[in-house]
Amino acid sequence: MTQTPATIDFRRNTQQVPLQMPAAVQKATAKFLGTRAAVVDALGNEYWQVLRQAGHDIRLHAITYIDHYLAQAEQAVTRAGGQVHWARDAEEARRILLDIAARHRVKLAVKGKSMATEEIGLNHALQAAGIRVLETDLGEYIVQLKGVGPAHIVVPAFHLSKEEIAALFRDKLGVDAPAEAEKLTQIARMKLREEFLAAEMGISGGNFLVAETGTIVTVTNEGNGRMCTTVPPVHVAVVGIDKVVPDWESLTVLLKLLARSATGQKLSCYTQFISGPPRSEAETGPREMHLVLLDNGRTRILQTPECRETLLCIRCGACLNICPVYNNVGGYAYGYPISGPTGVIFASQILGPKLAGTLPFASTLCGACNDICPVKIPITRILLHLRRRVVEGDESEPATAPVSLRLGAWVGALALGSTGLYRLGSKLLRRLQAPFVSGGWMADLPAPLNRWTMSRPFPAFAADFRQWWRGRYGKARPE
Amino acid sequence: MNRAREDILGKLQAAYGRRPGAPAASIPPAARIAPRRPAGPEAELAQLLTEIERLSGVTRRVANQEALRAAFAELVRAEGVKRATCWTTPDLEAWGVAATLQALGVEIVPAHADKQRVASCELGVTGVDAALPETGTLVLTSSPERPRVASLLPRVHLALLRPAVLRPDLHQVFAETREAGYTVLISGPSRTADIELTLTLGVHGPKSLYVWVME
Repeated sequence: MTQTPATIDFRRNTQQVPLQMPAAVQKATAKFLGTRAAVVDALGNEYWQVLRQAGHDIRLHAITYIDHYLAQAEQAVTRAGGQVHWARDAEEARRILLDIAARHRVKLAVKGKSMATEEIGLNHALQAAGIRVLETDLGEYIVQLKGVGPAHIVVPAFHLSKEEIAALFRDKLGVDAPAEAEKLTQIARMKLREEFLAAEMGISGGNFLVAETGTIVTVTNEGNGRMCTTVPPVHVAVVGIDKVVPDWESLTVLLKLLARSATGQKLSCYTQFISGPPRSEAETGPREMHLVLLDNGRTRILQTPECRETLLCIRCGACLNICPVYNNVGGYAYGYPISGPTGVIFASQILGPKLAGTLPFASTLCGACNDICPVKIPITRILLHLRRRVVEGDESEPATAPVSLRLGAWVGALALGSTGLYRLGSKLLRRLQAPFVSGGWMADLPAPLNRWTMSRPFPAFAADFRQWWRGRYGKARPE
Repeated sequence: MNRAREDILGKLQAAYGRRPGAPAASIPPAARIAPRRPAGPEAELAQLLTEIERLSGVTRRVANQEALRAAFAELVRAEGVKRATCWTTPDLEAWGVAATLQALGVEIVPAHADKQRVASCELGVTGVDAALPETGTLVLTSSPERPRVASLLPRVHLALLRPAVLRPDLHQVFAETREAGYTVLISGPSRTADIELTLTLGVHGPKSLYVWVME
């Protein structure tokens, strides 16, 4: 359902955020942060920090030797009887899935929640080929019925009230739906139950791919992930190449971090480990298993050393929950299925600055995301590099910012980089501001500075700092 | 397709300046964590049951064959069980699970029967290959005698557990299951909070989870 828009204009998107969004978002994020804090406290902060460091080290090791581990995983999956496909981009991934579907004459496919399939716009491609495709995670099912994408990577429909969902069910499913969470969940269970049993293909993502045994790990709560990978005769997993981890021992760390950071659970309800299709005819499960390894720009992220750690992400969503920007605008403003701080650094690079040049600026750089990240991704450091890329360009992308911004940044760097110019500037600014100052504030500034004063006044420059310091402390140097 | 493979691996090698087929360095020691030290067997079992209950599972300790029959009679009545599917491992055969259910008038559906019929079962009975006290987790593997659908399709999942399957942590479990074709960790009944964050049990998987300890 989700289609990546041509260009993401974050600022414009924020102006279309529904009024009830911030309150709904904050209710959800507060709850997740609360349960997360409780389980982290139970472990003790000291041990939590040891775990985070271990998580960081194992993920960094995995992406540093990613070529080695991917080759190992491919070999292991093949040995286990699975089929491995490599997809350079979204188009290639979609084609691989369409081919598999065509070979099995698939008319109905059921899907577990997967950000990789959102990223490649899979549903749209399958539907265009005449295949019905159903999201089966309850939240995803609801947003699919509504015809929109996920507003949060863990709880996609958290911004909708039960009344809205009941109305949606009545309208789209033609059932009598009371506005009660329990009843609505039962309706979805009944409706989807028939679809699971009828589907010819199940599609999943993968939270991790264990190189040593070619094992796909899925972490879920509802059981739909198990359904998609167990009941239909064909299972296709679409997994980003960044999901690879060396071995099972790595999972002991990452599984401890993931559910706690995401939902405040110690472990999710169902964690599955799938190594190829069932080994004997007499076992239940799919008859065929495919693994699609998706690049789609990930190799490019790894080419820039400053940005590599973007791919450490285990998609827990904790950085969304803590982010002051996300908490006020929700997921849709980001214009991409993965939102919040991790979505910003990922999407800006996957889509490139031409399409997503506004995203690195969708942050206050407060750094709360760095502190909460279970694998210690230096998100704000990466954001700064990406901002610089937009303005100045770097080895992988040319500058895309408007000339005025580039000129402004250049002048700023020059003025702040030289003592003489800085002193001159601070003197000049106090002269130049005079016509606009009233009572210590500037209420209206001329364009383009009015972008600030449209919503709040700017404080007047009060004094020359160096003069003020000398007056107060004489010749003493600041400590 | 192989072009795609070579392209992707080539770009990765170029990004890090590595030769094709170069091995990985060894995993840094800080990336490893120490295993958990288990308490005594009775304390471990008590913790397992407490954690399962905390996740809305229902636990019971079954002393002998007679108690098992009584427990089944109670369960069949309480959950309105008419059809059931179960594992056929030596443990479950020895406990006479299928025979006991049949004696209670319950139809046994083989797990390999038509999916619709298995899905129409109210009850799925399985064994447990390992269990984790810390998180209240049951570890189930797959084999012809251990059908995956038995713990997934029926509305009620009953897991029969020997105390001997308790393990201290994931390190130990993974050491034993890493070569298995399929493993699932189950922590409580199927759940969601997708509608207004209201915790609701029984979305797509079982709505109720019973765990009986066979002593």
